[in-house]
Amino acid sequence: MLDTTRQQAVTVPRAATRRARAAGSAGIVALVVVLVGGLALLGAFLPVSRALVVENAIGLALFAVATNLLLGYGGLVSFGQAVFYGAGAYTVMLGWEHWGWSFWTGFALAPVVGAVLALVIGLLSLRTRQLYFALLTLAFTQLAFVLAQQQHEFTGGDNGVFGDVLPGWLADPRKGYMFTLGVATACAFVLWRIVTSPFGLTLRAIRENRDRVEALGVNVFRHQLVAFTISGAFCAIAGSLFVVHTKSAYPQLLEWTKSGEPILMAVIGGMFAFLGPAVGAFLYVLGQQELVQHTQHWQLILGAVLLAVVLLRPDGLAGLVTGGRWRRRPTAKEPEAGEEE
Amino acid sequence: MRVKQRGIFRLIGPSAAFALAAVLVMAGGSSAGQERRFAGSVNVGISTTLSGSIAQLGQGGLNGVQLAVEEINAKGGLLRKQVRVVSADDNATPATGSSNVRSMILDKKIRALFGPVSSAVAAAELQLTAEHKVPTFLHTSNDITLMTKRYTPYAFQVVPNTVMEPRAVAAFLKKHVTDRNLSVATFAPDYVFGRNTVTNFLQALKDLNVKFEVVNQQWPALGAPNIAPQLSSLIQSRPEVTFNVQFGGDLVNFTKQAAGFGFFKSTRIVAMYSLDPLTALAPNAPKGGIAYSRAPFWAIKTPEMTRFVTKYRQRYKEWPNEWAILAYTAVQSWAHAVQSTKSFNSDKVARFLPGKTVPTIRGPIKIRACDHQAEVPHYVSTIWDKPHPQVKVPLWSPVVFIAKPSQIMISCAESLKLRES
Amino acid sequence: MIQADAALISASSLFLAAAGLTLIFGAMRVINLAHGSFYMFGAFLTTSLVGLATGSRFWWAVPVAALGVAVMGGVVEVSTIRRVYGREHLTQLLATFALLLMFADVALWIWGAEYRTVPLPESMFGGIEIAGQLVPRYHAVIIGTAVAVGVGLWLLLRFTLLGWKIRAAVDDPESLEAGGVNLRALYTIVFALGAFLAGLGGAIISPQISVSPGLDLSIIVLAFIVTVIGGLGSVLGAAVGALLIGAAETLGTNIAPDMASTFPYLAMIAVLAVRPWGLFGVPER
Repeated sequence: MLDTTRQQAVTVPRAATRRARAAGSAGIVALVVVLVGGLALLGAFLPVSRALVVENAIGLALFAVATNLLLGYGGLVSFGQAVFYGAGAYTVMLGWEHWGWSFWTGFALAPVVGAVLALVIGLLSLRTRQLYFALLTLAFTQLAFVLAQQQHEFTGGDNGVFGDVLPGWLADPRKGYMFTLGVATACAFVLWRIVTSPFGLTLRAIRENRDRVEALGVNVFRHQLVAFTISGAFCAIAGSLFVVHTKSAYPQLLEWTKSGEPILMAVIGGMFAFLGPAVGAFLYVLGQQELVQHTQHWQLILGAVLLAVVLLRPDGLAGLVTGGRWRRRPTAKEPEAGEEE
Repeated sequence: MRVKQRGIFRLIGPSAAFALAAVLVMAGGSSAGQERRFAGSVNVGISTTLSGSIAQLGQGGLNGVQLAVEEINAKGGLLRKQVRVVSADDNATPATGSSNVRSMILDKKIRALFGPVSSAVAAAELQLTAEHKVPTFLHTSNDITLMTKRYTPYAFQVVPNTVMEPRAVAAFLKKHVTDRNLSVATFAPDYVFGRNTVTNFLQALKDLNVKFEVVNQQWPALGAPNIAPQLSSLIQSRPEVTFNVQFGGDLVNFTKQAAGFGFFKSTRIVAMYSLDPLTALAPNAPKGGIAYSRAPFWAIKTPEMTRFVTKYRQRYKEWPNEWAILAYTAVQSWAHAVQSTKSFNSDKVARFLPGKTVPTIRGPIKIRACDHQAEVPHYVSTIWDKPHPQVKVPLWSPVVFIAKPSQIMISCAESLKLRES
Repeated sequence: MIQADAALISASSLFLAAAGLTLIFGAMRVINLAHGSFYMFGAFLTTSLVGLATGSRFWWAVPVAALGVAVMGGVVEVSTIRRVYGREHLTQLLATFALLLMFADVALWIWGAEYRTVPLPESMFGGIEIAGQLVPRYHAVIIGTAVAVGVGLWLLLRFTLLGWKIRAAVDDPESLEAGGVNLRALYTIVFALGAFLAGLGGAIISPQISVSPGLDLSIIVLAFIVTVIGGLGSVLGAAVGALLIGAAETLGTNIAPDMASTFPYLAMIAVLAVRPWGLFGVPER
C-alpha cells in the first residue's frame, strides 16, 4: 500500500513538471529574448556611467533571484545571503592578491566556495525554524563581516581588496556589461530549470505544508539543505560579478544590511514570480540613484515606499499582474488553503 | 491552457518594469549631459564622512573647501571659470565612497577630488582617480600607505602622515618624560590608520632610545558606542603613558568614561585633543594631558591664518577646526597649480606640483617630489587649565612644540622602498 | 573587579535594549526591527532635554524622554504595527525595517548628522571605591536601572492585572478576547511599554556614549542576539542572554582582543545549535 502511494507521489510531479515546462512556449521565449536583447542594447548605447548603473542592477538581480529560490520558492527567510555574495567577491580578489590566480580561476571557484559555505551554514542553521532561522543566518552574516574586518592580514580589513584583477578585454566597461548580462542570463536559466523541476516543486510543497510533505516520506532537511547550497553557489557568482563591476571586495558586502537587499528586492518586485526579484532589483537600484541625487531624505522615501508595498501590495509589483495570493501564517486551527501554481 | 496563460502574464509585469526602468535610465542619462554643458563653470568633488561619530571631521573639511571655493569665485573664478563644489556623504565605507566618486567623475566631470576622512575609503578612491586621471588632494585621511604602496601620480597629501604624526608625539615624550622604563598602553581604532599609527609610534620611541614596555593594546572598532570592556582592561594594566589614537566623538566618549574611573590621575594621556574634543569636554578636559593636532589655529601665528579665522567665523559662526584649515590649504594647492599652468588638465596639474612650494594659510608648503607628501610640521602641547581668551574653553599651554618636517618625515629612499613592497 | 563592572555595564545596556523587544514579541508575536530606533530616540531626546546643564535636570529628562518614546511607540502601533498582526514574520521584519529607515531620516532631520553628548550630572562625578578600584558612581545608576526594570517587569507580569492579561495574551489570545478583554488596547499598551523600556535604555546610557546616527543599527543586532539566545518572548531569557553576552565581550577583550567582537555571534550560533528555540524560548505556535 505504502509503495503504490510513493509511486503515485512520483508520477504526479512529473506531469506537473511537464505542464510547468510547457509554459516555455514560443510566447515566453520571445519575451525573454526581447528583455535580454533590450538590456544588451542599453549596454551598447547608453553613456558609460549609466550603463554601469544598469550593470550593477543586473548583478544584483541575479543575487535577488538566487535568494528567492529560498525565499519565494522555499519559504526560507535567510538574512545571511550576503555571506555567499561577499565570499564570491572575496574569492576572486583574494585569490588574485595572495596566490596570483587569474580572474577566471577565481570566477570558477567562487560558486564552489559559496556552495561549501552554504552547506556548512545550512547544516548549522536549518534545524531552527522561522524567525530563529532568519536571525541565526543574520548572526552568520555579521560574523563573516566582523571576521573580514579583523583578519586584516588576510582580507585587507576595512580597506578591502582591490586591484587590476580583470583580464584586458573584460576591463572595458561595455564588454564587462555584456559579460555580466550573459552570465546573469545563463544563471537565471539554470535557476528556472531547477525551480520547475521535481526538486523545485517539492520545495514549494515544503513551503506550503512542511509536515504533510515530511509525512509523505520526503527528507525535508535534505531538500532544504540542497536548496540552500544551490542558492549559495549562485549568490557567490553574483558576488564575482560585483568584482567585474568594481574590481574590488569590501567587508560591507558581508553585512546584514547587504543581506537585506535581495529580500527587499524580492518583496518589492514580487516573491512568487520567478523574475519578480529581478524587477525589484532594477527598481531599487535605479530608484535609489535618482532619489539620492534629488533629495537628502531618500531614506524616508525608500522607507515609505517599502512600507506601502509591504502593507498594501504584499505580492509586490509583479503581483499586480499575476494576481498572486497571500496567506496568513497557517496556525493549528486554520484549515490548509492555497493554490499551487 | 491555464498554466500557459499565467506563464505569459508572469513576464508582462517584468517587461513593463524593465521598460519603465529603461526610460528612467535614459532620462537620467540626458540630465547628466545637461549638467556638463554648463559653460563657464567647473566642478570639484568632495566625498567625505558627514554623519556619525566622525562627522565633524568631514563637515569641517567640507566647510574649508566651500570657503576656499567661494573666495576664488569672488575674485573672478579660476581661469575665469566659476568653481562649483559637488559633495557626498560616504558613511565611512569604501563601497559608498567609491560609488560617489565614480558618479562624480563620470557624471559631474569633476576636475579635482578632495579627500575623505577614513584612510580605508581613501585607498579605494585612489584606485578610481588614478584610473580616470583626476588630481586628488588628501587633507584628512593620512595613512602613509596612501602615498607609498598605493602611490599614484595624481594624488597629493597635505597633512602629516601616520609616520610623521606619531614621530612628533614620540619626540615630545622624549623631551618631557623622564628617562626610566615607561609602561605604555595604546588604545586605537581597529583599522589601518589606528594600526599604522601605533606601530610607528612604538618604532619612533625605539628609534629615540626611550626605554619602555608595552603593557596593553586595545583596538575598539571605529565608532563603537560601548568601550567598557576595552577600557576596563586598559585601566587594569596601570600604564604610565596611554597613547589614544581615537578622534572625534570616540575620543570624547573615551575621555568621559575614563575620567569617571579617575584614570587620568594615574596615567599620562596622549591624544588628539584639538579644538572639537576640547570644546565638547570643557571644563572636564584632562588637565596636563598631552595634546596634538595637525593644524591648531591658535598655534599658527601668521597674518593669513588670522584673516582666515575671522572670515571662517563670519561665514560659519564657529571657530575653524584643523580639518577645515587643512582642506582649505588643499584647495589652495590645487588652485595654485591650475593658475600656474593656466590649465585644468590633470596631467599638467599633476606634473606641476611635485617639488613646488605653495603659499597657504599655514605658511608656504612644499610638496615633495618623490612621493607627493607635503613637508609640513606637526604640533604637540599640553592641555591648559585656563580658558583661552577668545575661544572661552581651555585649549593648549602657550608653549607649543612644533616638530619640523625634517625631524619627522621618512627619507625619499625609504618611501620608494615602501612603494616597491 | 573592574572587569565585573564592565561586564555588568554591557549586560545592563543590552538588557534594557532587549527587554522591550522580547516582551513585545512574547505578547504580540511581532518582531520589531525598529526597536533600536526607539533606543536611539531616547538618547537623542535626552540630549535635547538636558542641553548643557549639569544639575538635576538630567534626572527628570530621562523619564520624560522615555515617556516621549512610549508615546511614539503607541502612535506607531496604532498606525502601522496593527496591520501586520498575524502576518508572516517576513512582512513584520520588512515593515519594521521600513520604519527603521524612516525614523533614521527623521532623527537626521531633527538632530543633524554630528554626534551629541549628554553631560553627566554633577552629583555623579567621582567614584565609589570597590575592592581597591575606583568605579564611576554613575555605573551604579545604570546597573540599578537595569535591575529595577527586570524586577519591575517580573512583578508586573506576576502580580498585576495588566501582567495577567499580558501572560494570557501570550498563551491564548482568542480566549482572552472572547472573555471581553479589549485586545487591541492591550496590544497598544504592551507596545508602548516596550518602546518605553527601549527609550529608557537609550536615555540612561546617553552620558556614557556619543549619541549619533547609526546607534539604531548598532544596538539592534546585539539586542536581537540577546533576545534570541534567551528565547523570544522570555524576559528572564533576555536577562540571562544579556549577562552572557556582557561577560563574553569582557572576557573576550582580555583573552583575545583581536577576536572579541566575534564572541556574541559565536555564542548565538552555539546556543541555537544546541537549543534551536533559545534558552527559555518555546516553539512557535
